[in-house]
Amino acid sequence: MSFFINEYFPILLLLFVAIGLSFIILGASYFLGNQRPDTEKNSVYECGFDPYEDSRNKFDVRFYLIAILFILFDLEAMFLFPWAISLGHITSMGFWTMCDFLIELTIGFVYAWKIGALEWE
Amino acid sequence: MNFLLMHQNHFKMFLPEIFLATSILVMTLHASLLVTSKRLGYPILTSSFGKLSILVLFLTFLLVNNNPIAFMLTYQNTFIFDLLTANVKQILLLSTICCLFIFEENLLRQQINNFEYFILILCAVLGLLFLVSSYDLISMYLAIEMQSLCLYVLAASKKNSSFSTEAGLKYFLLGSFSSALLLFGMSILYGCTGTTNFENYTILFSGVDVSTFSTSESISIALLFVGAAFFFKIAAAPLHMWSPDVYEGSPTSSTIFFAVIPKIALFAVFIRMFQTVFSSFEDTLLIMSIFFSICSVIVGSFAALRQRKLKRLLAYSSVSHVGYLLLAFSSNSLEGTHALFFYLVIYMITSLSLWSVILSINTSTNIERSKTLIDFASVSSLNPLIGLTGMIALFSLAGVPPLAGFYAKMVIFLSALSSGLVLVSLIAILASVISSVYYIRLIKIMYFEPKSDVSFVFPVTRSCSLMMGSGTFFLIYLFINPTLLLLLTEKMALCLY
Repeated sequence: MSFFINEYFPILLLLFVAIGLSFIILGASYFLGNQRPDTEKNSVYECGFDPYEDSRNKFDVRFYLIAILFILFDLEAMFLFPWAISLGHITSMGFWTMCDFLIELTIGFVYAWKIGALEWE
Repeated sequence: MNFLLMHQNHFKMFLPEIFLATSILVMTLHASLLVTSKRLGYPILTSSFGKLSILVLFLTFLLVNNNPIAFMLTYQNTFIFDLLTANVKQILLLSTICCLFIFEENLLRQQINNFEYFILILCAVLGLLFLVSSYDLISMYLAIEMQSLCLYVLAASKKNSSFSTEAGLKYFLLGSFSSALLLFGMSILYGCTGTTNFENYTILFSGVDVSTFSTSESISIALLFVGAAFFFKIAAAPLHMWSPDVYEGSPTSSTIFFAVIPKIALFAVFIRMFQTVFSSFEDTLLIMSIFFSICSVIVGSFAALRQRKLKRLLAYSSVSHVGYLLLAFSSNSLEGTHALFFYLVIYMITSLSLWSVILSINTSTNIERSKTLIDFASVSSLNPLIGLTGMIALFSLAGVPPLAGFYAKMVIFLSALSSGLVLVSLIAILASVISSVYYIRLIKIMYFEPKSDVSFVFPVTRSCSLMMGSGTFFLIYLFINPTLLLLLTEKMALCLY
């Protein structure tokens, strides 16, 4: 069991630190900050939608298309940074793997572009 | 060190997958440039893409056949290649070719003009090929996700039908729930053992009494979660609730794909995982699979009695067949695994034959709506050969003697009995008697029910008639001479022992 505690103690510590830190940050801004509430500020923020609408309304699916494409390229950047840093260690195999990834991503992008997923009007 | 040289053999093993992936990319690029071309008048590619997909799958099949190496672990043991994976891949590719072959005309009629439909099917097949080979929890999870995501979109691919959208959404939500269960189980496994690799698990658990492990119970619980996710994906009762709704709502072509293809890949990796890698924990797993088996045969038999829609009926019938497969799985022996693969192949042949019958009974009154049982009325007098094919396929599903389905059921019950599962086999046999009621009712409707309305009957397509003919031939031939299939499936089963 002590092996278990040894292995997982940092995670427990992280949990407590995270909880404590979030309380401190929220509490500090709650107690120290100026507060002038109004209806607009207190309403729920809902990414460009009116929060008190009928939920059966139609909405534009293009928001989501753009968001999904954005996340794809965001992730691509996330892969590229560690790859660029460790390029010296991973030899030609690592280099060509990333090239393959980029080519496939570009083909997906060309598809989205040609099919008109990026056109707003 | 030259990495490309080092990975040369790995590339060789992956050649079919690499070919399929490259073809998917080329097809995507080709189609997206073509369908938006004003000069060509925005062509509809459904027909040509159907044929192109069949060609690509056939070439992949040849590449799988042409494999030079009998056994190999590749890429840091994350993928395995042996005779089992090769044979399962061949069966998968051939049955996908049959599926594409029979539903091409149906797609045109349903006005699913997206070329993406075929690309998604190819992607799902690629995911299934990876799934069959996966030998690591991470590669297995990624492969399962790859095929599931494609299947969700295939379920929702008829954009103007709210049923199809509903089916896709339902499938997506419940499927992601089961993936969450799978991930949870995997994370416990990783937490307890510190590895995700099947090879490492095999070494870790071999030759020791696992009950002395301090984490033995946690591993059992983790395996329960992983098993539950698998039973969810193959729609075993009581985790079957998504399958009738998804089968009913999806366009018929997608339903055929769901019904025929993914089961064999899931079963292959499931058996490898539970009967060789985690065989030390078989007590937990056997109790679970026996429970799911009994539930599936009972639910599949009784719930289907009340169904009026054809696709829902077949969904419940597939639940009961999964029950028999799990019975073979529970017998936990070479005979059981052998019986399981034998049953799976015969079940695939039978369902392809039955689905092509369903695709061929179009009349002017039922072509637009989802088919009910009464659409089978007097099929035999309108077209005696379709009636005969349907009758043979249904009798084979029910397990009536002069057909291959009888052997399939028989080997399963024999293997279960030889492992001492007497009570479970008895329940399954009784349930199979009950389930034959609705198969025989369908045959009764085909032969003795008069047609109530007057309507124009659509001609049968060439591809459906070819499929029906060859399906019926195999169902009869495999009763007379099942040796070839028995040898093939025995070879597949022997890989695991």
